[in-house]
Amino acid sequence: MLDIKEYLKPNTVQSAYEMGQMPNSLYVSGGLMVAQLKISSVERLIDLKSVGLTQIEDHGNAFKIGANVKISDLISNPSLNINGDFIKIALKEIGSTQIRNMATLGGSIAFKLGWSDVITIFMVLNSNLEIYDGKFYEISLEEYTKKSMKGAIITAVEVPKTEGVAVFEKFAKSNFDIATLNLGLKIVLDGQIVKDARIAVGSRPMVSQRIKEVEEFLIGKHIKSASKDACDLIEKVIQVGSDIRASAEYRKALSKFLLDKALRRVQL
Amino acid sequence: MKVKIKINDKDQFIEIDPGETLLETLRKLGYKGVKHACSTASCGACSVQLDGKPVLSCTTFTAAVDGHEVKTIEGFSDENSLSDVQKALIDEGGSQCGFCIPGLVVTAEALLSENPDPTQQEVIDYLKGNLCRCTGYESQTRAILKAAKERRLK
Amino acid sequence: MKTLTEEKLNVVNTSVEKVDGKALVRGKPVFTDDFDIPNTLTVKILRSPYAHAIIKSIDTSEAMIEGVACILTYKDVPHVIYTRAGQGYPEPSPYDTFVLDKKVRYVGDGVAIIAAETENIAERSMKLIKVEYEVLPPILDYEHAMDKDAPIIHDESEISGAYDPKRNIAAHYEMEIGNVEEELKKCDYVVDETYYTPNQSHAMMEPHGAISYFDPNGRLTIITSTQVPFHARRIIKRIFGVNSRVIKPRIGGGFGGKQALHVEPYVVAVTLKTGRPAKCIYSREETMTASNTRHAMRFRARAGAMKDGTLRALELWGLSNTGAYGEHALTVFMVGGSKTLPLYNKVKAVKFGGDVVYSNTEPAGAFRGYGAPQGMFPLDSVLDELAHKIGMDPIEFKLKNSIREGETSPIFKIMGEGREGVDQIINSCKIEECAVNGSKEFRWYEKKKQPRIDRQRQIAHGYGVAFAMQGSSIPAVDMGSATIKMNDDGTFNLLVGATDLGTGSDTILAQIVAEVLNTTVEKIIVYSSDTDMTPFDKGAYASSTTYVSGNAAKKAAEKMKREILNAASEIMNKPIHTLELDKDGVISEDGSTLSFSDLQTKLFYTFNQRQLEVTESFVSEVAPPPYLVSFAEVEIELNSGKVKVIDFLNYIDCGVPINPVLARGQVEGASAQGIGMALFEDHVMDKSGRIITNDFFTYKIPARGDIGRIQVRFVKSYEPTGPFGAKSVSEIGLDTPGPAIANAIFDAIGIRVRRLPIRSEDLFFEIRKKGL
Repeated sequence: MLDIKEYLKPNTVQSAYEMGQMPNSLYVSGGLMVAQLKISSVERLIDLKSVGLTQIEDHGNAFKIGANVKISDLISNPSLNINGDFIKIALKEIGSTQIRNMATLGGSIAFKLGWSDVITIFMVLNSNLEIYDGKFYEISLEEYTKKSMKGAIITAVEVPKTEGVAVFEKFAKSNFDIATLNLGLKIVLDGQIVKDARIAVGSRPMVSQRIKEVEEFLIGKHIKSASKDACDLIEKVIQVGSDIRASAEYRKALSKFLLDKALRRVQL
Repeated sequence: MKVKIKINDKDQFIEIDPGETLLETLRKLGYKGVKHACSTASCGACSVQLDGKPVLSCTTFTAAVDGHEVKTIEGFSDENSLSDVQKALIDEGGSQCGFCIPGLVVTAEALLSENPDPTQQEVIDYLKGNLCRCTGYESQTRAILKAAKERRLK
Repeated sequence: MKTLTEEKLNVVNTSVEKVDGKALVRGKPVFTDDFDIPNTLTVKILRSPYAHAIIKSIDTSEAMIEGVACILTYKDVPHVIYTRAGQGYPEPSPYDTFVLDKKVRYVGDGVAIIAAETENIAERSMKLIKVEYEVLPPILDYEHAMDKDAPIIHDESEISGAYDPKRNIAAHYEMEIGNVEEELKKCDYVVDETYYTPNQSHAMMEPHGAISYFDPNGRLTIITSTQVPFHARRIIKRIFGVNSRVIKPRIGGGFGGKQALHVEPYVVAVTLKTGRPAKCIYSREETMTASNTRHAMRFRARAGAMKDGTLRALELWGLSNTGAYGEHALTVFMVGGSKTLPLYNKVKAVKFGGDVVYSNTEPAGAFRGYGAPQGMFPLDSVLDELAHKIGMDPIEFKLKNSIREGETSPIFKIMGEGREGVDQIINSCKIEECAVNGSKEFRWYEKKKQPRIDRQRQIAHGYGVAFAMQGSSIPAVDMGSATIKMNDDGTFNLLVGATDLGTGSDTILAQIVAEVLNTTVEKIIVYSSDTDMTPFDKGAYASSTTYVSGNAAKKAAEKMKREILNAASEIMNKPIHTLELDKDGVISEDGSTLSFSDLQTKLFYTFNQRQLEVTESFVSEVAPPPYLVSFAEVEIELNSGKVKVIDFLNYIDCGVPINPVLARGQVEGASAQGIGMALFEDHVMDKSGRIITNDFFTYKIPARGDIGRIQVRFVKSYEPTGPFGAKSVSEIGLDTPGPAIANAIFDAIGIRVRRLPIRSEDLFFEIRKKGL
């Protein structure tokens, strides 16, 4: 139990934001992470679910997904076909049935957890976030991971419809575990030549990051013959650290391993 | 604060602390079948169904469940007979110490209502979040596949 | 004795439903934390943040906030030294523990007991306790515990039973038969390597917990999740000088982690101080870091053989980490030799010994296998290495040198548990059938012919085999008893001290009694593990319940049978030799019957009135080992070092399984725990001695889908000294996964792993170094 004084359920984003400006307040969406906090200074929880933000809208060139959409609803939604079944297959790697029934898209991104699979998955899809901090505006998911945005509320995730094949790879000790390293790859091929490449690696243990050197290396090359060099390159350039799950050196080797697996899969 | 939750088909009006978890509330109300085995959303022993979907009650705020429907192991148990899942677990030796079982039954019921004819891998994947230290999982997988088959025949 | 009798059995060797099965699948409130007693205080423990320190001062004045009933420090609890270990008295473990002490010896050691109206208040109060510590240098690496200037962890004057506390040695043992050094010189091949096993956590699903209260008549009662209710009662009496009743309800797993006192002294101290019921339930973090773990061990193993495969000499010399307190120190260490080395009884020389040291880490204690997993990993691995050196198939090599029926080993007599053992001839040993039949089903010889490495997929496959033995109770030490009381409705109450921790012992004991009395399990009402209501049983450990408690139940049932026939003879007016038990009653030669219910009804009210009731006890003279051969197929991802067990096949000789489904469950579960120890479960400690892997998020036990297939086959066997031919089954499964997997990895890629758990990172860099 969190020793708080009140649990509020605002009806609009604006009122939620105002409540959030009060000292010692915390937003909660799915609740998985907040319920485990042991911070005794939190006095107030503001439940964002009562604001709504559960829509999944097709805007033609992009999908706009409300921040409170559950991971399980993303998986079961029949219309969410971005790069084929990528999102559904990738999101199934996360947690467990129960966790996917609880975790929300916004909640999974908001804390910028290093081991987040969701951030890697949506980063490789070029996603943008709709943020409210007194007014609405958009920032890329990538940018969000690099900034501190205390008090702001993620209201939606915008996923552009782009071409290409995308795959998600996750290495973990147990199959019910967070990633020791995760990797998302999106490739657009013209025949066998790489027209576009996007690579995001997370749980480094730091939060997901684009690996632009390897993306640039692959573009314009023949995918089969460039694969080996691309894998050697990622091992060289990737920025990783050590923690109880793995050393930095091992993470480097895993980045090579996961990219190799991913490159094979996109060609199938 | 006050909340209204339908627990096992019965409307209940409950006075709670705002930061209370659903696990605490349910056990306080007497639903002792919902178990507390970890504090990191990692074991599944506290699983209940929220609006028909399995969730972890240890990391769910009761305040968030106001107006919703919760089903615990008690809601899947009948004094006079056992469900096919419960019977199969007993027959296959899938319940040793029994501590993981309530969470497992609740989650397995959700599986079978979503997917009445699961493959062995689907059973394993769906129930991944329900840890068991006693059985090594083999007997539980056998039991749920057996129960699924029996349920389809009914 | 070579005959294999096949008794005709109605209930035994049948997979009857567990007697507690219905309650458990319905989620009935049957565990310690499910009991709500009015006016109960919640108890929390303030724990040391330091691995080694003296409490200079402790000020609880500001922590006595509203709602706190009491706060107890070392000054407020009896200064009586004891061991937490749940063992027969006098315990072979050092007395080195206080309920609370002025000194703390590991991160997590108890500092104060807080009792409050709610958990919230207790936690807030805990933060206001002011403790001043004098921090001492700790020993965090047990391999340095005996260094010349190592700090002394147990310098208390009251300590007793420790071998040499000034050098941090809790226990020491050695024995030698023949001369290993001389024999090794004569051998054609010798392997000399060192192996490590880890401080595995039990990770049982139900954390430790206990409630204490005064019943309406003022009797101190303790409900506790324990494997050892009678030992708990005795130790509480020692510490507090009070008599009590200890009740074990259903337990959510123990695996040895509850074969000790954990929470009981804390709640009893509060109840004695306040007069109120007190409940303490550990968090998962406390169960992980402040209860106990398996003893981590290092063993140097030496084995020597001739080129024809004859094993001549074996040596295991070890160092065991008992952590901050020495419970089970000597006994677990000795089992590392006593339940492993006798398997290879044909050697000319064998040596076992070493030290058990204190360190400032979480105390180690009993854990399923109890030293045998730690001893079998080096023993089976070194033999596998030797077989490869000779160029012999490991199965052939191990079979050539292993024990058979009718044989014995001098080690049985020399090594008991903490003391001398007992001689025994092996009456049942089907290890050859296990190995031969198992290798056939596993297609061992076929698989060994296949290539191991698939370059295309960068995957390697390997096959490993491991042999194991265990014991069935500790002979001449372990005692169990059973009381059977007849009712006038055709049922019998079976009262046993034996402790069911989810293993199903209540059920199999009922089966044994039902078999003798020619009735069904439904007619046997089992009540167990209540020190006021049930006769003594030493508790659930040493794989003794089926064998010892089972034999006690059988003895009691046979006595009850005689009493029934005696009474029936009186009532029916027929000579006893014309009477037999048959389906809930007595039948005479001429066909007339008398049901059990009619019999006892008459004996209650109208005929030579008396209650038919018997109590019998059993202590064994021998501890017939079960035998196990396990086959492992592993798949290794060469580019990540990840190892997955694809197939794990167990062929076991446990005599006659009283309940095949329950017995199978024991082996499947033990295999999973052994695979956990071998591949998943890795504790990490920070520089201050704090265990970082303190929950299921960071300490990974195998989850569903992490292990391929585990299978169990029972080989036909019969142990004449066991109840209906049974031996034990619940621990041995943990002895084989470690070595079988390490052997399989060597088979796959030629890399020998000698440290568990096998981390994918370490294997990856070995693979890279080898240039695979």
